[in-house]
Amino acid sequence: MPKMLPTVLGNLVSKPATRPHPYRRREAFARARGRIIFDVKQCVFCGACALRCPASAIRVDRNERELVFEPFRCIICGVCVETCRRGCAQMIPHYHSPAYTKPEEYYRAPVEVKEENQL
Amino acid sequence: MAVKTILPFGPQHPVLPEPIQLRITLEDENIGQVLPALGYVHRGIEKAGENNDYPLNVFLVERICGICSATHGLAYCLAVERLLGIEPPPRANYLRVVWAELHRLHSHLLWWGLLADAFGFESLFMQIWRVREMVMDVLEKTAGNRVIISVNAIGGVRRDLSEEQISEMLHTLEECEKQLYALLPVMLNDYTVKKRTAGKGVLTSEQALRLGVVGPTLRASGVAQDLRMTGYAAYGELGFEPIVEQGGDCYARAVVRARECFQTIELVRRALQQLPDGDILTKPRGNPNGKAIVRVEAPRGELMYFVVGNGTKNLERMRVRTPTLANVPALLEMLPGAEFADIPVITLSIDPCISCTER
Repeated sequence: MPKMLPTVLGNLVSKPATRPHPYRRREAFARARGRIIFDVKQCVFCGACALRCPASAIRVDRNERELVFEPFRCIICGVCVETCRRGCAQMIPHYHSPAYTKPEEYYRAPVEVKEENQL
Repeated sequence: MAVKTILPFGPQHPVLPEPIQLRITLEDENIGQVLPALGYVHRGIEKAGENNDYPLNVFLVERICGICSATHGLAYCLAVERLLGIEPPPRANYLRVVWAELHRLHSHLLWWGLLADAFGFESLFMQIWRVREMVMDVLEKTAGNRVIISVNAIGGVRRDLSEEQISEMLHTLEECEKQLYALLPVMLNDYTVKKRTAGKGVLTSEQALRLGVVGPTLRASGVAQDLRMTGYAAYGELGFEPIVEQGGDCYARAVVRARECFQTIELVRRALQQLPDGDILTKPRGNPNGKAIVRVEAPRGELMYFVVGNGTKNLERMRVRTPTLANVPALLEMLPGAEFADIPVITLSIDPCISCTER
């Protein structure tokens, strides 16, 4: 047991190894896979992300120009981010906070973008 | 006269991280026959793998195991790459080794913590898990996630390491090694640890070979067999030597894992120092056709993937054989004759991963 003594004494005077989580959060690492957000202004609703999503968390309706994303189905693998050529799907390092319900996120094309893309 | 009792050990038991039931026939305090009951966490992943497109299966197979997910992804990618006839770039091979070895490191540290917890050494458990947390942080900083890191892709890896990340990783591993060295005398020579592990659950090398035991459990019985010796990914260029102990008991298995922690740190260091420049991904073309068997060394032992492609984007069959499946028969030979109080330690000594076994 004396072998552990330096560690025990060190632990007595050092700061705790844990942190009081909900009150003090750790800064997210820059490359962490937190969650996916969509910048719909860039989107052309090609549906490539929906086709490659392993969890089928994305649905794209090309005619309605609408993208539906289910964040609680998403496994945050980042395939949509790699697939999207327009930079619409983006990964941010902050996690989605826990929730009681699992709402879907709707993204609709703004009117001016629609006109631009019809050219 | 001895009193016979049939005791259901598990599926829910404080020492078991995952559900497995061992129906144990006790004669007083001594263990007689042991029967395992599996099937509590079957998820049908093999079947699901036949319905997915083959590149997306990487994310599925990573979810087979919560600890060695990178190794599962690596084995699946190697199998499909063999079917497609593509070769990942050298840098990707080295990065695969780095992440696979970091997974082995955190898996062994997790196991050591659980072992210490199983015989009531809570302080050691927390000290080891504090070291493990540093490895988890390295994984999150480099791969983006703590456990399911999703770095492997068909044809290479999805993430690269920058120079700063490499130097930071080396620095953290050095710190990790230093703290582990400080704990090592307690892990290997402490009276409590030796009392509870030495001489328990002995498996001779003949028994181990007869039962087809794999991984650290096999190497602790004196058989130098490690699939990293076959040199898949970049292991062939890193000068890998397997770690062998002769005891065959729980203590020898613990020593093998403790020594492998240091070996793993050394392998990561070598891989990062020799890291070649270049691409990290060869784009896969076409659909897999034919059959391929790939065996890799997961933290718990040999992991086998058998993949059958039929020329479409879906696989005909995906078969996974995981290390714990090979080690459960050994557990059934280790337990009889031991004492009741040693069940947790002996059960943990094979590092059972039930999610892997049942898929």
